[in-house]
Amino acid sequence: MNNETTQPFDIYLVGVGGQGVLTIGEILSEAALAQEIPANFYPTKGMAQRGGFVKAQLRLGRQASGANIPERSADLVIAMERSEGLKAVRFIKLGGDFIVWDHVWAPTAVMLEQAPYPTLEHLSEQVHGAGGRFHDLHPHDLPKGLSENIFVLGVALNNTALGRLLQPELVRAKIEERWPEAAAKNADAFRRGLEVYR
Amino acid sequence: MALGALRAGVKVVAGYPGTPSSETIAFLLAKKPEGVHVEWSTNEKVALEIAAGAAWAGQRSLTTMKMSGLNVAYDSLISIAYSGVNGGMVVYVADDPGVSAGMAEQDSRGFALMADLPMLEPATPAETYRLSQAAFELSQRTGSPVFLRLVTAVAHSHAGLEVEENPPPPPELPILLERDIQRYTKAGAAICMAQHHDLIARLEKAEEVIREMSLNVLHLAPDAGGVGIIACGAAAAYLEEGFEHLAKLGVSPESLSVLRLSSVHPLPRQEVASLFGHCSALLVLEELEPLVERELIVEARRLGYSGRIIGKMEGPFNRIGEYGVRQVVEGVAVAAGLACPKDLLRGLAAEERAAARPITVCAGCPHRGTYLALNRAIRLLKLKKDEVMVTGDIGCTILGMNPPFHTVWNEVSMGASLGIAQGYLAAGLKTPVIATIGDSTFFHAGLPALINAVQHQAPLTLIILDNGWTAMTGMQVNPGTAEAFQRPGWQRLDLATLVPAMGVQQFFQVDPYDLKTTTETMVQALALHGVKVILARRECSIQSKRRGLRFRRVRVLEEKCTLCKLCITTTGCPALSIGEKAVLIDPAVCVGCSLCAQVCPAKAIEKEEIG
Repeated sequence: MNNETTQPFDIYLVGVGGQGVLTIGEILSEAALAQEIPANFYPTKGMAQRGGFVKAQLRLGRQASGANIPERSADLVIAMERSEGLKAVRFIKLGGDFIVWDHVWAPTAVMLEQAPYPTLEHLSEQVHGAGGRFHDLHPHDLPKGLSENIFVLGVALNNTALGRLLQPELVRAKIEERWPEAAAKNADAFRRGLEVYR
Repeated sequence: MALGALRAGVKVVAGYPGTPSSETIAFLLAKKPEGVHVEWSTNEKVALEIAAGAAWAGQRSLTTMKMSGLNVAYDSLISIAYSGVNGGMVVYVADDPGVSAGMAEQDSRGFALMADLPMLEPATPAETYRLSQAAFELSQRTGSPVFLRLVTAVAHSHAGLEVEENPPPPPELPILLERDIQRYTKAGAAICMAQHHDLIARLEKAEEVIREMSLNVLHLAPDAGGVGIIACGAAAAYLEEGFEHLAKLGVSPESLSVLRLSSVHPLPRQEVASLFGHCSALLVLEELEPLVERELIVEARRLGYSGRIIGKMEGPFNRIGEYGVRQVVEGVAVAAGLACPKDLLRGLAAEERAAARPITVCAGCPHRGTYLALNRAIRLLKLKKDEVMVTGDIGCTILGMNPPFHTVWNEVSMGASLGIAQGYLAAGLKTPVIATIGDSTFFHAGLPALINAVQHQAPLTLIILDNGWTAMTGMQVNPGTAEAFQRPGWQRLDLATLVPAMGVQQFFQVDPYDLKTTTETMVQALALHGVKVILARRECSIQSKRRGLRFRRVRVLEEKCTLCKLCITTTGCPALSIGEKAVLIDPAVCVGCSLCAQVCPAKAIEKEEIG
């Protein structure tokens, strides 16, 4: 691919440590570099090994770019957790795609009903308010045992401009390279994602 | 950073882990480059001295640390700066504007100014590779240690870049043994002042060498009278994108002059003078402190430049947080006297209603047992938690400040838990004073503070939460890590031997997975006079889990669980959640520490020993 003509494409990823948020970014970066599309991937995991807020920023198609995506500029937001999705709203650009995997990872205070937790409708309103296109995916739509992040990756490739930038077949190959022993399961999750039309 | 150093022929690399600087040595330790000595040192001061010793011996050396670590190493660095070096020596320091890792928003560029040492700063990963090599050359040519400063957004970025494959092993250089007290000691005013003179001369030479090496890139617009931009480090990476927005506002990028500043210190005065002569106003893009801005103002006064200098002192910018595209656009607009749309690159703030997600220790973390036991011990002694000072320290152990523990009161710097605790005692606090510290932090800077407590018999209780690894920064080996994980030829130091040998007569060792014994030991220790040390030892559960270790099988007996949720409210373990009939334990997360079973009042959690 001639990277001179590649349109820049910015992806903002959020979720909770342990959901494979950073892995999505790593796989997409590898696929981009394999296509000779310049990529800058900037993961931020803070202090959390697991259960803490995680974000990552992937900037594709710019020869040299700063790591941080400006507000109102992300072509695609992937939120792997509903509440954390709210933190990404300020980054979606007008007409950008906002995909939320509607998983509720309740902090203890929420679990004990001592603290509120946002509804999916609230997130949807916020995304619409920011001018984004809202796509919600539901954990019960994916058979148990299949990787949710790989599924969401498939959905993103099939339903957003990302699919025109990166070759889904190459992304699938990168997933297989990463986990050769789980190839069949991941291929299944990825295919199911690719078959989702929103 | 690491590949650039290898390419530059580095022979000795030493550092101490600290986000976001840790990956350089982690990468080199894994790569095991031939002929290169790589180590995690006990602390940054030791690491820097190792690098300096190697550089005095004529070899190229690198030391790595986060900004807090530079504070620790700085005492030696000032002195080494006076002496200069023979082999190229690079000090890699990582700052964290925007605080993604949780520490001060320190601007380490100030240290370069104070030490009169050159400092380079790249804008992107690709530039880091280039400047890493340039820093060695600059150091070699000037005889001065050189700082290379990165910020998190650059240090943690992953990007494709062209590198020369397989750098050769470092060249075989003679080991210099130079006996010269005029240079290597500070024995007397004449010596110190002569060295100070040499130091300033080296910095002046650095300015010339930096110009010869074309490390700063100046582009003057075809027409004079426009806006000039001085972009420092990471801020320079956003220029092109900012120009796209400016073009839409009617500002032609061709009308702008730009100085991309890689040498934060010394300021390239020639290029600055060119900008003064060409531009009607200047914009300074630099994160954190207005250091370059202040120097520009001084230069402007010296050279009689009367244009505006836009930044933090006159201008819209803040000393807090990161810069991005918005600062480029707003800054140029202000400098050009244009209005900038208020909502430009400002999104809809929706995070207000996001659930708070205070982080806690991992499932199976031994620190959970230690903090649960400490809270119980305080209760058993009929004390209130807000009467008992529990000082905290750096690393995972600080999570004792968060729910559900609320045990730890403060966090200062490596090893500070011990000194602060002694201060509360000296102030006259009569209730028990407890210091908490992790193993690596204790080795790093806790040792001198404990020695102080022993000498003065400060009646504190120190709890060393020993999980065997430098865990928070990504599982580095430290002096206390088990023998099996030390490299061949290294020797482990056992805290259980070391602490009593420091004159601590009341020493206890407990397993924090055993809540009862740990609590009883704490109750006993807290009632004693003098210095008490409790070593709470159990390996980090992330590490033991990676090796497939499970301790017990733990399961909820549905018929007995009353859903009182005490296991969740007391332990806060991420493996526990509320089911319809009973509490659930996620088997994928649980490592079998069984602390939930030990706090369950209904005995509804069954534990079964394995093996």
